[in-house]
Amino acid sequence: MTAVTTSTATVTPEARAALPPSRVLADIGLVAGRNLRKVARNTRLIVFSTIQPLMQLILFAYVFAAVAHVPGLNYKDFVVPAVLVQTMTFAAMGSGVGIANDMQTGMVDRFRSLPIARSAFLVGRTTSDSLRLGIQCVILIAAALIIGFRFHAGVPAAIGMGVVLVLFGMALTAFSAWVGLSVGDPETVQAAVFIPILPLIFTSSAFAPVSRLPGWMQPVARVNPITSAIDTARGLALGDGTLYRVSQTHLGTAAWHFALWWVLIVAVFTALAVRRYRLG
Amino acid sequence: MPGGVVAEDLVKRFGSFVALKGVDFVAPEGRVTGLLGPNGAGKTTAIRILTTLLHPDGGRATVAGYDVVAQPQLVRSVIGLTGQYTAVDEDLTGRENLVLIGRLGRMAKRAAAERGAELLAVFGLSDAADRPLRTYSGGMRRRLDLAASLMFAPPVLFLDEPTTGLDPRSRLELWDVITELRQRGTTIVLTTQYLEEADHLTDTISVIDAGHIIAEGTADELKTKVGGDVLHLTLVERADTRRAAGALARAFGVPETELTVDLELGTVLVPVAAGSVALVEAVRTLDAASVHVADLGVRRPSLDDVFLSLTGHVAEELRPEAAAPRGRRTVVGG
Repeated sequence: MTAVTTSTATVTPEARAALPPSRVLADIGLVAGRNLRKVARNTRLIVFSTIQPLMQLILFAYVFAAVAHVPGLNYKDFVVPAVLVQTMTFAAMGSGVGIANDMQTGMVDRFRSLPIARSAFLVGRTTSDSLRLGIQCVILIAAALIIGFRFHAGVPAAIGMGVVLVLFGMALTAFSAWVGLSVGDPETVQAAVFIPILPLIFTSSAFAPVSRLPGWMQPVARVNPITSAIDTARGLALGDGTLYRVSQTHLGTAAWHFALWWVLIVAVFTALAVRRYRLG
Repeated sequence: MPGGVVAEDLVKRFGSFVALKGVDFVAPEGRVTGLLGPNGAGKTTAIRILTTLLHPDGGRATVAGYDVVAQPQLVRSVIGLTGQYTAVDEDLTGRENLVLIGRLGRMAKRAAAERGAELLAVFGLSDAADRPLRTYSGGMRRRLDLAASLMFAPPVLFLDEPTTGLDPRSRLELWDVITELRQRGTTIVLTTQYLEEADHLTDTISVIDAGHIIAEGTADELKTKVGGDVLHLTLVERADTRRAAGALARAFGVPETELTVDLELGTVLVPVAAGSVALVEAVRTLDAASVHVADLGVRRPSLDDVFLSLTGHVAEELRPEAAAPRGRRTVVGG
């Protein structure tokens, strides 16, 4: 049984411990690749996590369109960017569940006891989840186009909307990761992440223009990060003029709010998550 | 002792609970050192500090000469860790798991693949190499977990209760691997609740209880601390048990209350000072009392006895499920 201890590599501890940027990138790639492979193996997860947003899309586009009305705009065009933002939000919450799962199975300890970059676990997770979100985003936009949704502001703006959606989801993976690392139990994480998320979605400009929400809710809706993401996505999909007509907000303002929220969410929750990860 | 593990006065608190209250611990290079103690004694906390997973609140520790707080990255480059939970990925195959760990451990793709295949063969997992782990048994997972820890042949290996929950056969297989690793010069720190395991595998043992190291030494030294030998007798006729016990008590001048007598099994245990002399005396006594002896022998006290006398409570392994069939008869066997 000589193989047990005969090392094929004669690397010194110092060389193994070194972390040049190329190693950091390689580690991130390895962790992200492992996460994506896990996603690809879970065919049931893929099927259900695709069907669910598709159903939401159809529900909001047809059922809500029958009762809701936004003056001067097809409700379908109004609601689709919001459904996309909501989907990215929900999908981002999967990050925390994945991380909690890795904690429960000891994988986090395994990674933390290896001489890899400390950032690799979290950045690798964000990388693979962003890719997952991107794919989901493309599928949903295609489905939206099939059921009659239309971009009004041209192809570059449409691509810009896709980027905004994925960026927003990416920022929320940091929040989700922090909850996942703090709670450490997949089922509890699932419940915990939605406590702030659901109220934020329903007090945003998602399903009705802010001006038509109850008076007390309007100030909340205006500073809501989800409103900033939805308004930016809407502006890019429908054009600045239409956005201003339905929400009295210019695309520039919405984009500025969005950028501010994005930086804030990423900075705060990345710092918290990294701290959690280091403490173990 | 640059190659081994040295911990000095380690302290760790979790809120108001003090898990480690100043633990001094040495694991010499190339030896197997056991950390033995019940659940909650601080074994896992100590291992987590030594493997850089947890920051100590006090004290210091080095692994292969590297400081666990100041040089964690270097510590990580010389250790392997197999924790209490099998840290392998359910969705990947056995081979993919090993290659991933190897590559994260700085091996080239090709080298990781070759080493992975080698270890799969060593651990008898070649046939299952390309199956996802979901299809593996508990014993197979444990073996893969250990294989993952050995991917880059770490000079220092930490095994935190490596055989907990394993069936007897898998346990023996793991024991063989550990023995082999020791022979090849790997420094091993092993925690266990199983006294038999510590007795069998380790060169020296540190007994930990409630955050303190309460005893150290080889298994033999620890047994000597507890006192003399134990004479054990099994009778052919269970009906003779009480009579034999009485005769032995008189012959050795021990009060009958110090004997462990099991009327159902027909066994008697007598604490004696010097085993070999006692054996001759016992044969004479039993012959004179004309009882038929099925088995008679002398043994050193087991680590169970050691643990009981050191901590004042029975070792953890006897508490949950094992407690029912075996009861308090911890001194039998060994």
